[in-house]
Amino acid sequence: MLEIKNLHASVDGKEILRGINLTVNAGEVHAIMGPNGAGKSTLSNVLAGRDGYEITQGTVTYKGEKLLELKAEERAQRGVFLAFQYPVEIPGVSNIYLLKAALNAVRKYQGLDDLDAIDFLTLVRSKLELVKMDEEFLHRGVNEGFSGGEKKRNEILQMALLEPSLAILDETDSGLDIDAMKTVSDGVNALRSSDRSIVMITHYQRLLDYIVPDFVHVLSNGQIVKSGDKELAKELEAKGYSWIHGAPEGQTA
Amino acid sequence: MKQLTELATPFASIAENKQLVGADLVWLNDLRLQALNEFDQNGLPAKKQEDWKYTSLWALTQQEFSHNAETSKLSTSQCEQLALLKECYRVVIVDGVFSELHSQIEGLQKGLTINSLSSGLDHVQSHLGQQIDIEKSGFNALNTLLMNDGVVITVDKNIKVSKSIEILVVNTGKTDNLATHLRHVIVLDEKSEATVIEHYVALTEATSFTNVVTEVVLAENAELNHYKLQQESLNTTHIATLAAKQAAGSQWKTNSISLGAKLARNDVHTQLLGEQAHVVMDGLYLPINEQHVDFHTRIDHVVPNTTSDELFKGVIDDKAHGVFNGKVIVHKDAQKTDSNQQNHNLLLSRSCEIDSKPELEIYADDVKCAHGSTVGQMNEDHLFFLRSRGLDEVSARSLLTYAFAVEVLERIPAKDIREALSAVIEERLPQGGK
Repeated sequence: MLEIKNLHASVDGKEILRGINLTVNAGEVHAIMGPNGAGKSTLSNVLAGRDGYEITQGTVTYKGEKLLELKAEERAQRGVFLAFQYPVEIPGVSNIYLLKAALNAVRKYQGLDDLDAIDFLTLVRSKLELVKMDEEFLHRGVNEGFSGGEKKRNEILQMALLEPSLAILDETDSGLDIDAMKTVSDGVNALRSSDRSIVMITHYQRLLDYIVPDFVHVLSNGQIVKSGDKELAKELEAKGYSWIHGAPEGQTA
Repeated sequence: MKQLTELATPFASIAENKQLVGADLVWLNDLRLQALNEFDQNGLPAKKQEDWKYTSLWALTQQEFSHNAETSKLSTSQCEQLALLKECYRVVIVDGVFSELHSQIEGLQKGLTINSLSSGLDHVQSHLGQQIDIEKSGFNALNTLLMNDGVVITVDKNIKVSKSIEILVVNTGKTDNLATHLRHVIVLDEKSEATVIEHYVALTEATSFTNVVTEVVLAENAELNHYKLQQESLNTTHIATLAAKQAAGSQWKTNSISLGAKLARNDVHTQLLGEQAHVVMDGLYLPINEQHVDFHTRIDHVVPNTTSDELFKGVIDDKAHGVFNGKVIVHKDAQKTDSNQQNHNLLLSRSCEIDSKPELEIYADDVKCAHGSTVGQMNEDHLFFLRSRGLDEVSARSLLTYAFAVEVLERIPAKDIREALSAVIEERLPQGGK
């Protein structure tokens, strides 16, 4: 599904990613953890195709294609989805319009016709249920006046509708209380499948109690310095990040 | 005198050789003589005048205009297509002349009159010319001098007009360099209600000059929803004054959308003369290419307890130039005035220009006045978000532009007009926007 090799990326001449290697197979859930400033958000932005990052070395292969050569929208149309840490509010664009435009953009790439209004609404309603959102949210501006939890649920709603092959969840747990975290996690868990890969980027271990990963990686100073299973996350929770520095895998101590 | 001699078109002498509307009316002749006098003295405004510093009329003064339209043919089906509203009373003006053939004003409801200027003059003798200032604006003087057609609408006391009224002004392009001077007068008596839309269109890219004055008179507790959609040729010079006087408890909602014209200048003015009078003064301008759009607005809060709410938005692209100058004047006695004025602009290119100038003059001490002005670019985070959901860059930019502009449209209460105007704006955006 996704193969990242020796990825180096800089922002304004400052190197943030310093040689990331990561392979994600279909159906796997990976968690990438790390302290602030480790490069977590840079990694998700680079994968989703945000402008402003300079790739100095390395390759990213997604379903056999060179991902870094594709525009952001081309990646989305091919099934890459980024759930944002800070979803933007866009007054004037209704949620339902966004959902329809996004779904039709993906369908167009797949060679499918636009869904008609009734089929679309039926589909959206079933997805709303998944994230426990009221239909009223469809007719508001994108995230306009939404609470933190509602914004995150709206991201998962978009994910549920677009059915991506690779979902990158950037700090999806930030700003959520326990109830909201549970709703969001239930939504994500319902979307786990053998042909969908999920990369969760998080600072805290607590999300991993709800969405249990197959693999856990520690990102520090722009590199993956340690990989393991979910037990690694618990160890991090207990000991903090500082012990990783100087570990044999860590080259940045 | 000096300025007048610089004009390529001898406007003042045209008044003498032309069969003007209402030439036999003494009161109108008096008004025209005053206007002629003013125009002789002051001519057209010069750039050194504060009100005109961002808008040059040089090109206009160098052009020669014709005041006699050749007979033009506009099929009724063509007219139907140009109209914004399907279900409405429609008054059509073709190349500056009222067209009974194209208009649909039979069977008007009781208490409503709709006439061309020539047949409606008697209804508005006491109002015509009272809302505007001919001393300060040469164009108002010129319009008073040369007005040859237009629409007169009156609504009697307590009458609620059930259908919208569309004033459709068509330039067919048959006559090159046609100049038209239109005067519309809308008078609503006490507690009456009406919705009027002025709609200016052109069939060709012909060069022309449209000089229009719309006067609005609202008696106590009258309510007028007024819209203006200007989408003429990109070679047109469109100069307009829209001026109202509002009595106690009256409500005027006005919304001007400016799309087509090489140069468009709109002066929108109201005087709140009775307590509880309220105005919503909105506008939207979307100049492209090398278009120049200039809105000058003025709201006079003259008496206590009046309110105003003003929102103008601009989307400026290419090498276009937008101007917004909004004046709110709270007079000495106008305590408890509540006024809000906002002007927000989105710049889509590096070569475009906006001059935004809010002005607030307050002579009372117990008032609430807010104003804001912003100039910004496309939000990159919003753009990335939409692209990350699969929308290509052009569609995403177009959608965000629409989202910026739509706030002005959302303030239009009438659904049919709101939807019709939204469709016009969508069409203006690259790839149809929304």
